[in-house]
Amino acid sequence: MAETVHSPGTSSARIAEDFFRHESARLVGTLTAQLGTHRLQLAEDVVQECLVRALQTWPYRGVPDNPAAWLTQTAKHLALDQLRREQRWQDKEDGIAAAHERWLSTPTTAAEHEETFADDTLRMMFVCFHPLLSVEAQTALALRTLCGLSPAEIAAAFLTTEAAISKRLVRARQRIRELAIPFAVPEPLELPARLDAVLGTLYLLFNEGYKASTGDRLVREDFCHEAIRLTQLLTEHPATRVARVHALLSLMLLSAARLPGRTDDGGNLLRLHEQDRAAWDQTMIMRGIQHLGLAATGDSLSEYHLEAGIAACHSTAADEASTDWSRILSLYDRLLVITASPIAALNRAVAVARVHGAQAGLDAMDAIKARSSLASYYLYHAIRGALYAELSQPAEALTHFRQAADLASLPAERDFIARRIQDCEGQG
Amino acid sequence: MNPQSPTNEHLLLIRGTHWNHGMSPSELQRVMTDFYAWVEGLSTSGVLRGAQPLMEEGKLVNGAKGASVTDGVFAESKEAIAGYFLLGVDSMDEALRLATACPILAYGAQIEVRPIADLCRPMAEVKAAQHG
Repeated sequence: MAETVHSPGTSSARIAEDFFRHESARLVGTLTAQLGTHRLQLAEDVVQECLVRALQTWPYRGVPDNPAAWLTQTAKHLALDQLRREQRWQDKEDGIAAAHERWLSTPTTAAEHEETFADDTLRMMFVCFHPLLSVEAQTALALRTLCGLSPAEIAAAFLTTEAAISKRLVRARQRIRELAIPFAVPEPLELPARLDAVLGTLYLLFNEGYKASTGDRLVREDFCHEAIRLTQLLTEHPATRVARVHALLSLMLLSAARLPGRTDDGGNLLRLHEQDRAAWDQTMIMRGIQHLGLAATGDSLSEYHLEAGIAACHSTAADEASTDWSRILSLYDRLLVITASPIAALNRAVAVARVHGAQAGLDAMDAIKARSSLASYYLYHAIRGALYAELSQPAEALTHFRQAADLASLPAERDFIARRIQDCEGQG
Repeated sequence: MNPQSPTNEHLLLIRGTHWNHGMSPSELQRVMTDFYAWVEGLSTSGVLRGAQPLMEEGKLVNGAKGASVTDGVFAESKEAIAGYFLLGVDSMDEALRLATACPILAYGAQIEVRPIADLCRPMAEVKAAQHG
């Protein structure tokens, strides 16, 4: 390869944080764009090998002048080698093989990957987040292909086995082949619905990361940052740059900004009023507010708009006491017009309690229509317990906290409830 | 007694060619960052004199006039040499100190540390015999 290299050790700064991971998503996209979604597995294997080669070379020789171009070129070589080894390839697909061979043996220009990066990653998103794939398949595939995580890392985050995740990935790729899912941004007519599906799964991915501390905490926070990165890509592309995408990005940024303050040094969950607001990421909050502004330019109001509005109220309040709870309540009221989510209704009840008192909050909880689906949710009982505690009814509070304790599955959640129970017993 | 004399250089031979297989891009990224930080340390302290990775494949030539040329024992293995770093340090202790800080050891790579000699042993023996 005629690529200038630096003397060893002079250019580590050129490999940005998460460079490999983001480059792997781009390369899988670039190769899949050329070879078709039915060769997704080959693309992933080739990219993996390509990164291994980089690790075997760069520390000795220095990072190439244009590391991304080096990776693309190497990936093309490896893909070509691999395809030539496949017997079927030569027998049945002569015409296609020749076209691929031409492309794979053409050197990559520096401008080429710049141009196609966003496009290919975007198309890859529409493949991974295809509504005909199960949500589990979508998230696993996205974490593997778009975020560069290994099956082991994904398994650690979802508290399952590496084999289970690998199986899920194999099935997902197989399904993509069967359905012949095209590697393309959907046509304008189809785009809004497909985009909604993409946003839905990105939101889910974000929440998986944001949820208390299941599994490996660092990997989980990665989920949040990756969901933000992918949503940001959508806000930058002309085809997908619409108000509700900005709203979702705003919601993610405003929520993720609070991640650093959410637990104490011992990993214990902290309630809003216990959190050190100075630990919140102000730059992220600013970006969140900015995208909330951009979200307001459209004429549609999505649930992301309202949830981002609520997150903004929390993130911009100087302290718990100055939180604008009546604004939060009015946003929840509007949210419940759009969504039937019992979780949203539960959160609204908390806002009711803050504005109109604990008893009003309990009444609002009783009025939730789909309440039965919340019966197995530990926070439902924890909130009831907290509201009874506020009303100085420790016995009632204790009953509900104990129910919450039975339902909490994660250590951090169980500890959190145990502390509430202690508080009650202290009063009783 | 060994008639060779050491120079002021040491060679680190990195052994193991498959310790990084099966790592995800995010894991590879972590290793790359760590590995690079180590190389940069060698570079900024001025001891790094050269480094190259080696191809995994190679041939073994032996017998008079190369009577036999075979595939070497270079394929994927824990012992195969993946590359080298040439360091301008004159004590084994210093070379060992630098080698033990190499982060890829944690992933199963091995490092052989060898002082660079003024002559190879057979030549040194010839020379010793002449002067002796």
